[in-house]
Amino acid sequence: MNALKRHRRLDAIWSSQPGWKGWFSTVNHSDVGRMFLATAFFHFLVGGVLAMLIRAQLATPHSAFAGPEIYNQLFTMHGTIMMFLFAIPTFEGLAIYLLPKMLGTRDLAYPRLTAYGFWCYFFGGAMLLLSLVLGIAPDGGWFMYPPLTGPIYSPGINTDFWLIGITFVEISAICAAVEFTVSILKYRAPGMSLAKMPIFAWYALVTSLMILTGFPPLILGSILLEVERAFGLPFFQAEHGGDSLLWQHLFWLFGHPEVYIIFLPAAGVVSTIIPVMARTTLLGYGWVVAAVVALAFLSFGLWVHHMFATGIPHMGLAFFSAASTLVAVPTGIQIFAWIGTLWKGRPQLHLPMLHILGFFVTFVIGGLTGVMVAVVPFDWQVHDTAFVTAHLHYVLFGGFVFPMLAAIYYWLPLATGRKRFFRLGEVAFALVFFGFHLTFLAMHWVGLMGQRRRIPTYAPEDGWTTINLISSIGGFIMAIGLAIVLLEVVLHMTTRHRVARNPWRSGSLEWAMTLPPPAYNFASLPHVEGRDPLWADEALAVRLARGEGYLGDPPDGQRETLTVDIATGDPDYHVVYPANTRLPIVFSAVTGLFFLSLLLKVYWLTPLAVAGVAAVGWGWVWTLGRREDPGTQDVGRGVRLPSSDSVARSPGWWGSLFLLVANATFFGSLLFGYAFLWTVAPDWPPPALIAPSLFVVAVALAGAAFGVAGIALADRANRRGGAPVSGLGIALLGTLGSAAAFAWLMIGTPDPAGHAYGATLFVLGAYGLFHAALAVLMTCFLIARLRSGFMAPGRAAGLPIVGLWMAYLALVTVPILLAAYLPWVLA
Amino acid sequence: MNDLLRILAGPLLWLATFSAVYGLNGVVCGVCAGGTAFGDVSLPRVIFAVAWLVAIGLQLGLVAALHTARLGSRSSFVRVVSRTTGWVGLAASLWTLFPTVVTSSCL
Repeated sequence: MNALKRHRRLDAIWSSQPGWKGWFSTVNHSDVGRMFLATAFFHFLVGGVLAMLIRAQLATPHSAFAGPEIYNQLFTMHGTIMMFLFAIPTFEGLAIYLLPKMLGTRDLAYPRLTAYGFWCYFFGGAMLLLSLVLGIAPDGGWFMYPPLTGPIYSPGINTDFWLIGITFVEISAICAAVEFTVSILKYRAPGMSLAKMPIFAWYALVTSLMILTGFPPLILGSILLEVERAFGLPFFQAEHGGDSLLWQHLFWLFGHPEVYIIFLPAAGVVSTIIPVMARTTLLGYGWVVAAVVALAFLSFGLWVHHMFATGIPHMGLAFFSAASTLVAVPTGIQIFAWIGTLWKGRPQLHLPMLHILGFFVTFVIGGLTGVMVAVVPFDWQVHDTAFVTAHLHYVLFGGFVFPMLAAIYYWLPLATGRKRFFRLGEVAFALVFFGFHLTFLAMHWVGLMGQRRRIPTYAPEDGWTTINLISSIGGFIMAIGLAIVLLEVVLHMTTRHRVARNPWRSGSLEWAMTLPPPAYNFASLPHVEGRDPLWADEALAVRLARGEGYLGDPPDGQRETLTVDIATGDPDYHVVYPANTRLPIVFSAVTGLFFLSLLLKVYWLTPLAVAGVAAVGWGWVWTLGRREDPGTQDVGRGVRLPSSDSVARSPGWWGSLFLLVANATFFGSLLFGYAFLWTVAPDWPPPALIAPSLFVVAVALAGAAFGVAGIALADRANRRGGAPVSGLGIALLGTLGSAAAFAWLMIGTPDPAGHAYGATLFVLGAYGLFHAALAVLMTCFLIARLRSGFMAPGRAAGLPIVGLWMAYLALVTVPILLAAYLPWVLA
Repeated sequence: MNDLLRILAGPLLWLATFSAVYGLNGVVCGVCAGGTAFGDVSLPRVIFAVAWLVAIGLQLGLVAALHTARLGSRSSFVRVVSRTTGWVGLAASLWTLFPTVVTSSCL
């Protein structure tokens, strides 16, 4: 087969449906990545307009441009949009688009999940934007502190939009994080060991693991606050044993890692672009990887530095102050690695490099003010002033937007196959850089003079008039610069000025393909020998197009790729992807119906929506698998691999594993909340404790044990060619028992609306019940698959996945029972 | 997967001990803020200092384990990175839990 014929065949297999309908059914990572990026930058535009309205309001004293109610919505939505609807989705979009190309594979691990994540983001974002248009947008600040946002002081729907909309959007972040983690660990070109991975993949891997462990506390907090608002369970109300500080802990357990979740991908972009611009390799690759891991973990030990002014004991303050100063060290190591890379190379001042220099200057200043606010006495002076607002903008705009602008100019030729014709970018950079520093240097200054953040206006005698006017002028200059960037991107995409292949002469794999990239990325998959495959073999792209790599002989109608061993990069097993489908948009619409029913308080619709989610989820998984044994597959270059349907550690198993990491973090946060209320909140111990129930303990423990043992028996029987039906029966019995025990626990809790103790126990019981119900559903699914002929010794991928969820159910059963009954035993 | 765990182990252990000592601070100050031990030294101070030493001991043990042939990775790259992150965990324990012996215990 020649290169052209191979291209035509692959194109027919991998392309999206033609026309506008293709957008709703595509699962291709390049399409979904572009959709993510376009939507994220649309949100950036909206958030930017809101920022301009804020600066217009503050430009003069006693301004009547916007009243306090509208102004509260403006700054809340500006922060919310920039954090949740722009920054994280931009990373997701960039990584979705780039990772498979960089890793030398054809798509991410779960293409349908990629599309589902996008539609959740799209609908969740639309929900929030709709609230803005209707004038009922969230207005409690982007971190939504109760009691201000509780049912007493914010009785309207504004806060519900935030809690429900953001939770909906977070689904997409969790989906993307699972997707990236599994893709980076398993879906790489053969030969690409951990040591040979592109540096951006390391950054994306660490960021994804941070999302999996950083986002669940916020999801939990949002659920608890929404439950408090809707049903009166008093988690955050001090008069009923709750504590509003619990929200702050949960929020900042997410919120500080969030800053690094935003920064790290941008740093990954910098680490990728600088060596190319300097015509050399990254200095201290291993050190940078270690620094990224260190930074990620240290970032989880900083959350209380947002709460220095809340009256936390001195020793606690000192722990977090120390950690906050320490986090500058791994950041510094990366900066020195970048400077060293520039030093040993021959830097060329192309446009991406300009933005990276802008990043250097801005981010270092932001880092230095970060160290300043890490020191408790200084933080007490500037807490909640414009100084903090200026600091976070230096870190986030400097640490994220400048690198993303560099990324746009660096990878646009890849995405479009064209080069810049109108040279507007340099002018745009100058305006953005100058405007930004004018805006936020002034804001530091006015903050030190005492201007508090989020004030709607001020008086002339405060002495802040001139500085605020300068700041506002700077903001508008910056906006003009960003508008020119947008204009140039549009012009770039509309002028037919073809670019040569690999215009930057980069060594990484995303440039080893025709531009713009075809839907399948590589006609055949490379065997990687080093970190810069294109520098090692300049003819690699041509050889891959000729089919000299793996999977160069595509079967009709089958989207295929292969996975590798995590550490060594040796080929592991063969994977067949699902094709185009509208299932993701339907699934996200049904998920949206669930959230909408909660938002509009149409509670009769909620169980129907849950049933709909279960039904579509069932259909989603049902389409996978085979009724005949696939056998081993010839993947080219003399290698034969088993099919993913026949292995114990299938893609679904890996996805479940990392989803359970997020789930365990959620559960850990819930236990933390319970312990926090016991030790800190007023009105504890509670007036009445729940007495241990032997029935609940025995049935819950036996149910968990039966569930695990039943699936293990079924798996063993299936692999030996026997009938797994008895094992599945035992598992079903066990999970039904677990469900009954948790339901009984919930019924037995003291009035959940009367005290935070009962409320927390009720939620713990509900968590157990949800997982037991999920285990019942999964076991029923396996029984249905068995009856339909999907299960055989050579097709056993489903059982280990359910086994993993059963083990998790068993694992959480014990702490739930301890949390429920231990206080009574001790008392 | 084991190699990934080796790389994450040091900072993960630090995160666990850091959270544990922070939680211990809340529990101990809620239960026995006024107690004393070893003469004039307050009981909470002793408990926190012991917790800090335990954290350092655990980190040292992990670093030592990562330097052995049996528990270290076969990949030279992973070996270097995991040992580096192990030392990061140790340094982080030394620095971030140092307040246990110098700041007021239960104020």
